[in-house]
Amino acid sequence: MAGNKGRGRAAYTFNIEAVGFSRGDKLPDVVLKPPPLFPDTDYKPVPLKTGESEDYVLALKQELRETVKRMPYFVETPEEKQDIERYSKRYMKVYKEEWIPDWRRLPRELMPRKKCKKGAKSKKAEDAGKGPSLTNPVDVLKKIEELEKKGEGEKSDEENEEKEGGKEKSKEGDDDEEDDAAEQEEYDEEEQEEENDYINSYFEDGDDFGADSDDNMDEATY
Amino acid sequence: MTQAEIKLCSLLLQEHFGEIVEKIGVHLIRTGSQPLRVIAHDTGTSLDQVKKALCVLIQHNLVIYQVHKRGVVEYEAQCNRVLRMLRYPRYIYTAKTLYSDTGELIVEELLLNGKMTMSAVVKKVADRLTETMEDGKTMDYAEVSNTFVRLVDTHFVQRCPLVPATENSDTGPPPPAPTLVINEKDMYLVPKLSLIGKGKRRRSSDEDATGEPKAKRPKQSTDNKEPIPDDGIYWQANLDRFHQHFRDQAIVSAVANRMDQIFRSLPVGYNISKQVLDQYLTLLADDPLEFVGKSGDSGGGMYVINLHKALGSLATATLESVVQERFGSRCARIFRLVLQKKHLEQKQVEDFAMIPAKEAKDMLYKMLSENFISLQEIPKTPDHAPSRTFYLYTVNILSAARMLLHRCYKSVANLIERRQFETKENKRLLEKSQRVEAIIASMQATGAEEAQLQEIEEMITAPERQQLETLKRNVNKLDACEIQVDETIFLLESYIESTMKRQ
Repeated sequence: MAGNKGRGRAAYTFNIEAVGFSRGDKLPDVVLKPPPLFPDTDYKPVPLKTGESEDYVLALKQELRETVKRMPYFVETPEEKQDIERYSKRYMKVYKEEWIPDWRRLPRELMPRKKCKKGAKSKKAEDAGKGPSLTNPVDVLKKIEELEKKGEGEKSDEENEEKEGGKEKSKEGDDDEEDDAAEQEEYDEEEQEEENDYINSYFEDGDDFGADSDDNMDEATY
Repeated sequence: MTQAEIKLCSLLLQEHFGEIVEKIGVHLIRTGSQPLRVIAHDTGTSLDQVKKALCVLIQHNLVIYQVHKRGVVEYEAQCNRVLRMLRYPRYIYTAKTLYSDTGELIVEELLLNGKMTMSAVVKKVADRLTETMEDGKTMDYAEVSNTFVRLVDTHFVQRCPLVPATENSDTGPPPPAPTLVINEKDMYLVPKLSLIGKGKRRRSSDEDATGEPKAKRPKQSTDNKEPIPDDGIYWQANLDRFHQHFRDQAIVSAVANRMDQIFRSLPVGYNISKQVLDQYLTLLADDPLEFVGKSGDSGGGMYVINLHKALGSLATATLESVVQERFGSRCARIFRLVLQKKHLEQKQVEDFAMIPAKEAKDMLYKMLSENFISLQEIPKTPDHAPSRTFYLYTVNILSAARMLLHRCYKSVANLIERRQFETKENKRLLEKSQRVEAIIASMQATGAEEAQLQEIEEMITAPERQQLETLKRNVNKLDACEIQVDETIFLLESYIESTMKRQ
């Protein structure tokens, strides 16, 4: 607004006394840099609350942190391809329970698509070119049964250990692997085929092999 | 959402669900509602991974979806709900205090899984409780069911919205996504289930060091031969109800503290007779805190609890406490003074607080720069000339509360980052210590001698043990800090929410 800007220097536009300085006082230095990252505090913080309930909640918190890592909802980042395939990695894999969402409650586009086992190239072309295709659970089921009859032994150990609906999830998981270099995919196939000789689930007590293959996929599993 | 809130959400999502889910979640928080393909494209993530992440987020009530025109489904993140993950331990502990171990585990399972059917919860909890019981004893499903029903009756657990039953299956293609609905009166309706059974103990032969046989367990523990009786009926924890409980607790304890002060100045009376009760109530009503108000004389006197005022008092007390701890008691005196008198000039502050001008000025500016106090301009003349304007110091409680809340979010984010840093720094040592513990445990199981065990224990040197001790102490401290800052966050959020509702 109006005021002597350029002329007399010592004239402020407001009453300096209102702000608390008397005339002729040395004004504090202008600060030209950001405040320090860890400033010294004059007052130390109050100590934390302690007690039985505080201890219990603390223990709960730490346990929870460990538990969530083991839940199926914790999605691991797929590892990058390593230079050398470590033999021990195969035996250090932590088996997590698979989680199948209740597809009735979710938009259909979130369901994993039916995929062919072999021909990763054709699947990639499929993915790139398609619009949101709405898959039908019954179709997928039929496709899986077809594939089962076709590709005997390939990835079958994983499928037999989980229920029908789980097959979709394992396919999805496989796809993540398939998205990597083809070499790794081939290696994985060999790996799975090797394990076929020693599938434990074939001879589980009280279970009929293949009895669960006709289950309704809509069952939610936790 | 502010940057601080987004940062905190990112850390919470990462700890709970991993980096992929975190990336998708944070993206949605930042950008708002988006369809599937746009998310995949913008985050550079594969479609499959985005789908998986969205399934997880929707399951945990952190993301909702809506069908827009032309069948496009858009996903939206609930940032406030993500922030609630910080409070999970408190919810679980509250359930324990109210409904003991069974209640605790029910709420824990619901929070860990987002939503579950009642039969699944009952079974899981019965199994878990059986694990902790003596050999030969098992937990009956009926007992767990009872606790579940009690939790529902008191509204701590509620029904999730349902998929509507489709009557018209022949009118065109099915919609791209179901529209979930819930009726108010159905929210706490427990289906008639007859859950009969007992918890099962995990057989010790299943536990194997290599981990491979664990894959058997998912198959064994679930019976897919029987149909699930309450299929499609899901339950979730009702966080608002827990918040109500926390709020009540906070008010009660605040009044209890107050009562102690008053009690000491009253004659001692052991039985609360009507007269004494009257006295107490009158005192409460007259108390400047204004928690309790008298709203009439019918029935001998109608007393009402003013929740908004109560929350306001709690928020103000929090602000005062922060000023005291950060700037000192003289600053706190000035702060309380300005709060009480609402608007004060510079000169008046010096006079009322009886603090020399220079110091008072310094303190006021410190508080001003950190936004605990603000300046109100009152012009004397229409041209707003600064020399002819009153500048009054005032405390705007709502904006100060918001500022403090923002700082709290930043604090928690810092605490989590520091904790992660500490853990990462000592990762090698931690892994070594875990390995040694595993070895000792397996050796003890196979009956090793004392000398052998000692040899293994010595694999960790004394300075390493020291380091581990320090690490544990630090991590515990940081965790405890997070929990306590969350208590402040709760108070401030409650006050702000209550104030916004009244506007």
